[in-house]
Amino acid sequence: MYGRVVAVTVLGVGGHLVTVEAFVGRGLPSLVFTGLPGASVNDARDRVRPAVESVGLEWPLRRVVVNLAPASLRKDGPGLDLPVAVGVLVATRQVPSAAVVGYAFAGELSLKGELLPTPGILSVAIAAARAGLNGVVIPAANALEAAQIGSLRIVGAATLAEVAGFLRGTWHPPAVDPAVAAYAEASKVDLEEVRGQAQARRALEVAAAGGHNMLMVGPPGAGKTMLARRLATILPELSREEALEATQLHSVAGLLRERGVLTSRPFRAPHHSISLAGLLGGGSTSLRPGEVSLAHHGVLFLDELTEFRRDALEGLRQPLEDGRVVVTRAAGSVEFPARFTLVAAANPCPCGFDGDQRKHCRCRLDRLELYRQKLSGPLLDRIDLRLRVPRLTKQELLGSERGERSDIVRDRVREARERQRHRFASIGVTCNAHLAGPLVRRHARLTGHAEELLASAVETLALTGRGFDRALKVARTVADLAGASDIEVDHLAEALSYREGFGEGSVARAG
Amino acid sequence: MPEPVEEAFAPTGWPDGFAGTLEERRAAAVLASLRGISPRKLHRLCWREGSASRALAAVRAGREGSEADREHALATSGAAVIEATTAAGARFVTPHDQEYPGSVLELDDPPVALFVRGARIDVAEVRVAVVGARRCSSLGGEIARDLGRRLGSAGVCVVSGAAYGVDASSHRGALDAGGRTIAVLGSGIDVGYPRSSADLIARIAQAGSVVSEYAPGVPAEPHRFPARNRIVVALSSALVVVEGAAPSGSRISVDHALDLGREVFAVPGPVTSPLAEVPLALIRDGATMIRGADDLLEDLGITVPGHDRHPDPPIDLPEDEHRVWTSLAEPSLPDAVARAAVLTLPDAVAALIRLELRGLVRSTGGRYERTLSGGADVPGV
Repeated sequence: MYGRVVAVTVLGVGGHLVTVEAFVGRGLPSLVFTGLPGASVNDARDRVRPAVESVGLEWPLRRVVVNLAPASLRKDGPGLDLPVAVGVLVATRQVPSAAVVGYAFAGELSLKGELLPTPGILSVAIAAARAGLNGVVIPAANALEAAQIGSLRIVGAATLAEVAGFLRGTWHPPAVDPAVAAYAEASKVDLEEVRGQAQARRALEVAAAGGHNMLMVGPPGAGKTMLARRLATILPELSREEALEATQLHSVAGLLRERGVLTSRPFRAPHHSISLAGLLGGGSTSLRPGEVSLAHHGVLFLDELTEFRRDALEGLRQPLEDGRVVVTRAAGSVEFPARFTLVAAANPCPCGFDGDQRKHCRCRLDRLELYRQKLSGPLLDRIDLRLRVPRLTKQELLGSERGERSDIVRDRVREARERQRHRFASIGVTCNAHLAGPLVRRHARLTGHAEELLASAVETLALTGRGFDRALKVARTVADLAGASDIEVDHLAEALSYREGFGEGSVARAG
Repeated sequence: MPEPVEEAFAPTGWPDGFAGTLEERRAAAVLASLRGISPRKLHRLCWREGSASRALAAVRAGREGSEADREHALATSGAAVIEATTAAGARFVTPHDQEYPGSVLELDDPPVALFVRGARIDVAEVRVAVVGARRCSSLGGEIARDLGRRLGSAGVCVVSGAAYGVDASSHRGALDAGGRTIAVLGSGIDVGYPRSSADLIARIAQAGSVVSEYAPGVPAEPHRFPARNRIVVALSSALVVVEGAAPSGSRISVDHALDLGREVFAVPGPVTSPLAEVPLALIRDGATMIRGADDLLEDLGITVPGHDRHPDPPIDLPEDEHRVWTSLAEPSLPDAVARAAVLTLPDAVAALIRLELRGLVRSTGGRYERTLSGGADVPGV
């Protein structure tokens, strides 16, 4: 009375193969787990039996022991419901044991025996393909994401009865077309819709072209959110690998619903009240990817940057630096990829109207100082582009033109990125923003005039070492957009216009 | 408590012999260190009692002033106050002293004594108060600095309150020009407030004078600033208001100036600018409009070798910078500049930054505007 089924448990974002053994022997009717089951697996104990009985299959009135191997690996997630149920069906000879060979099983069961949408199925499929299995048996709702892995046979079942039917050869799963129901998260927005704010639109283009992070400082109603949302639309299209990586994270987080692969870059805009675990990943029972990982290969927008918890902002340093987060809990430590473009927005002062043309800022100076101190330091150092986004007057709005279409801008961005890839092919860097200190100076060659301008900027604007590097990186991107091999004086000058978000209309320089 | 009728009037100045002896002087020092009694009440009390010693006795007896004043007056010796003043590098100046300026006596609530650091303040000179918003615009700061500079080089002493913004800029301008300037503090003479102005105050103490009616150690508190303004105005023969948003300290200074018969000047701004609200209202009420230092000096009857305003870029500019500069009639968005100068946005931005590096243009909250001075000839802006 023994059955054996392959399952996959998802740790962080990666799937790990688990062998589920079921043994039905003498003893009082019970279900016992061994082999380091997590809390959510223990939950399955009371769920699996009703599911089996609800669909007309038989649950043995004997002692059932389910072992999860390897015992050294902690197993978590509701996806183990289905393999446990199938293991028992094999052990009780209700389905042929040969039929389960070559398949991995994953899915959460309801008491009625339905297979519910389950997080992390894409990771399951990837692990199964990597292990050389033939196919996966998963909830029908997750079939589209699993179908992204072309080498696998996808068995998407809606109920446990269908799974049993498949194993007995009496039910045949519908074919899945991986191309349908692609997952485009961002609602259809376009840069074209932005009227005015030409400099901010240009800054978005530069940010996209060089992979630079960006800070917009401006009063409420200036359009910061509207602008940030459109950055995702001018970044180069996701490559197949990038799309799969991003989709995997969304799948693990359970956000995929019944959709397939991400087709547009994610745009995540968490509220400033978000918890540390929500932003960076974690959670008390299972480790979930945070917003930084959901924004992987896309845009993370933090509005009201100064309102975020200090530790959350500090925590952004690792992903900004390494493109990943390591989350450590008692349950273990997992790593999530988190390579995103950060767009931050902040009011210029607590009341929001510092530097405004029509409304006078009445913030007390000491509060203003405190406010700005919140944003100083390590996080700001990793933001190359900073600009003021003023509230436009009616005349300015009427007098200004609409933006270019996103796809036109994206073409320029793609070309600029291509130049960078070519230039950096030997050093393993993909874009200007990722250049480290000494590399910046090597790869950002200036023309003679630009050298002169830089020298005068260092003196007049009191550029720090970091400010200097930032200006060079951004100038390199502006030159890439212009198709220039060396940085010319106008490229550098434009880069210098993106150097400070705060500091104007303020007292500090008035004296 | 309603004030007794006989106290409603007090003569200007101080009773004969007030603070004239050592004992009187020490009594005045204690009176000057009281915090609970207003200068006006103290002035009347001194007239009623006829001397500083008797006024102090009244406070110590609890007949006048708050309970805290009584305790303070009993616990404090005048000698200690004067000693602390000396230790802070300041002089204790009573109405009996030569240095106590006659113009301050015109106040109907003159300070019972002044604490002074730096040069004597009884020298014969023309003094002009320059006041305005603490949260001034960059342009306002620049105008104040220019006024300070021009007044300074014309030999006019600039009086202000050492606060942020217009105050600090006008002091700095006077110092730039090597001129004299007087800072009147709203805190004890040894308290550098605001902190960011501590260095400035130290420099003023070297090159000019720092004045306060508050004894050493008195912290800066909001209610002291309006009171400080009356001394700023009393020390000066004219008052210039640079920028101010509706309810502001500048308004209080203007009221003092009108009470004392000082002339009031105001620098206008755009009717849409909240910071132009006070100056424009003053002009409408009859203050003299000045466009800058030239107008002011002319109205004060002081002639100085004329400075031109700066309608043209002061140096030979490259073509695109020239076009951009010329198109900057008002604070403008970069795209508006690009349209007016017929340039692409990146080129216009680049030109703006090059102009900024030359000191001809600056950005304020995302818009660009011309600087006042034309840049190159102005140190330290």
